[in-house]
Amino acid sequence: MNFARIAALASRIIRQLLRDRRTLALIFVVPVVIMTLLYLVLTNTSSVHTLALVRPSGPGSNQINTLLDSLLPGKDTLHVVNINASQVDSTLKNGDADAAVVFPADFAQAVAAGQQPAVQIVLEGSDPTVASAMNDLAGNIVRQLGIALYVAKLKQSQPGQFAPTSSAGSLPLPLTISQPRYIYGGSQYTYNDALAPVFIGIFSFFFVFLLTSIAFLRERSQGTIERVLVSPLTRAELVLGYIGGFTIFALVQSIVVLLFVVFVLRVHYSGNLALVFLVTVLLTIGSVNLGIFLSTFAQNEFQVVQFIPLVLGIQVFLSGVFWPVAQLPGALQPISYILPLTYANNALRGVMLKGNTFADIAGQLAALLLFALLMVLLSTLAMRRRVV
Amino acid sequence: MDMNADRTQETMARPANNKGDQPMVVIERLVKQFGRLRAIDDLTMTIKAGETYGLIGPNGSGKTTLIRMLVGLLRPTSGTIRIGGERVPSPQVAASLGYMTQLSALYLDLTAKENLRFFSSIYGLRGKEQERAIQEMLERVDLADRANGVVGTFSGGMRQRLSLACALVHRPRLALLDEPTVGVDPELRRAFWDYFAQLNREGVTIIVSTHQLDEAAHCTRLGLLRSGILLAQDTPRQLLLQSGKDNMEDAFLYFASRKEELS
Repeated sequence: MNFARIAALASRIIRQLLRDRRTLALIFVVPVVIMTLLYLVLTNTSSVHTLALVRPSGPGSNQINTLLDSLLPGKDTLHVVNINASQVDSTLKNGDADAAVVFPADFAQAVAAGQQPAVQIVLEGSDPTVASAMNDLAGNIVRQLGIALYVAKLKQSQPGQFAPTSSAGSLPLPLTISQPRYIYGGSQYTYNDALAPVFIGIFSFFFVFLLTSIAFLRERSQGTIERVLVSPLTRAELVLGYIGGFTIFALVQSIVVLLFVVFVLRVHYSGNLALVFLVTVLLTIGSVNLGIFLSTFAQNEFQVVQFIPLVLGIQVFLSGVFWPVAQLPGALQPISYILPLTYANNALRGVMLKGNTFADIAGQLAALLLFALLMVLLSTLAMRRRVV
Repeated sequence: MDMNADRTQETMARPANNKGDQPMVVIERLVKQFGRLRAIDDLTMTIKAGETYGLIGPNGSGKTTLIRMLVGLLRPTSGTIRIGGERVPSPQVAASLGYMTQLSALYLDLTAKENLRFFSSIYGLRGKEQERAIQEMLERVDLADRANGVVGTFSGGMRQRLSLACALVHRPRLALLDEPTVGVDPELRRAFWDYFAQLNREGVTIIVSTHQLDEAAHCTRLGLLRSGILLAQDTPRQLLLQSGKDNMEDAFLYFASRKEELS
């Protein structure tokens, strides 16, 4: 193996890419434009939200429901829909409401018995800004109801018994509010935060795949690959040269995307930059070799483009970019776990959002390394089979 | 790793005329089968050091298949090829070969100089020696004034000249040129043949394929190929004498029909 020859190949690839203005624009401008669009789309939310109510229904509920109605804000601030307990998840998933407040059916009796029944707030959660606002709003309504019920109870009781029973000085509400439940996402991050890391992964995977497969296709269609194969350059050197050239490019690209995301879009970011690079490097090696491998099955650029839905589409939908893998239909989940982006997404989100360390994402890195090695093997075999 | 490259350069620097009349290429009982098609059929030939050997034959006669086996892009079904005494494919042999494909096989988005730099780099040339070789090559193919022009903007003839330059920039001992003069205008074609003769004088062995029979006279010796079978091989003059014809086209047809009578 001769490193000067590998370097010659890598630098030739970079030189070719630099000469191609349109490709440069594709690599550096498109990610920035898409991130901006995404940011705008995701932060633009309507101001009037909908709250679904599962009202108490047992004996003695009428008084509580009247009290609840008096506490609800006006229609210009909040829409309210009444549903029953079995409709909560479907209503939120269909987007018919942004949050739900679920009273147990026997709420009135439980309050009367002094059992402090639990009220559950359920948040749709796909837009963390909305989720957090709805959590506050619903929480306030329930708390106010609790205060009103407490006051009503005091009025009914004997004057001599008027004494706070709580030692801490806070009002002993006749109800409790459970931890909010999220249909999507969670309370710890915002949607932009959740998407920015995976887009670093998607951009480096996709553009590198596209560039490599087309560059390699051109090597074949222009016949230059034969010259290269006839030379003392070995196949391993050829693969390494390609990996080198494109990985350098992908790294520069991920730096650009990362800086843009962190400093311009001001997305929350807490992890170690070196780990983000490590994930990108492994992903890129896999992507370069997948590109070489698949391009040996293509006769022209158009056929390479036809691989995009296969390579990118499936991964975007199944790797947890928009929906967590755990929420996918059971039959699809095994597919998710053979996709490299699933592991890259987990690792990138872990590093950037939770500040994960190397040890935390070692499993994901191992999966990416395995994928990369498998692709190197496939591309080397494909070169042997198809080119010579 | 670097030792290998050094050895390569040593091999290339060695004056080829030391070889004297040593055979450069020895092909014995070579067969190449593609499915049911026998592209090369029991071919035996010897190519001497410092000559220009012309592979002559119509399209589909096996010229390109033979050249691709010589450079190691195809493996023979049976038989052997030795270049400079070494069985091919071998890395040592690869370093001393220059290969020009039928297509001009260049990076269209790079300049002429960048193409030459890349191809010379993968043959181990570097530094001042490399720059000197590139400059010399550019002048030889008359592209010095377009050295920094992007190849995509070049005409067919310019690309063909650059393609030849890329095949020879590392000073191979054996140049295998597959139809180098296709689509080349007569003036440039003459320049190519003059250049080949000069390379022969410098000790470089050339194997050149063509289906243009009028070019055959420029070669030291010819191998007439049809359907993967070597019909005849000798100097152009001897082939004309043997066939009793006054042009290579008639001579080719004569040998082809004689072969058919024999079989």
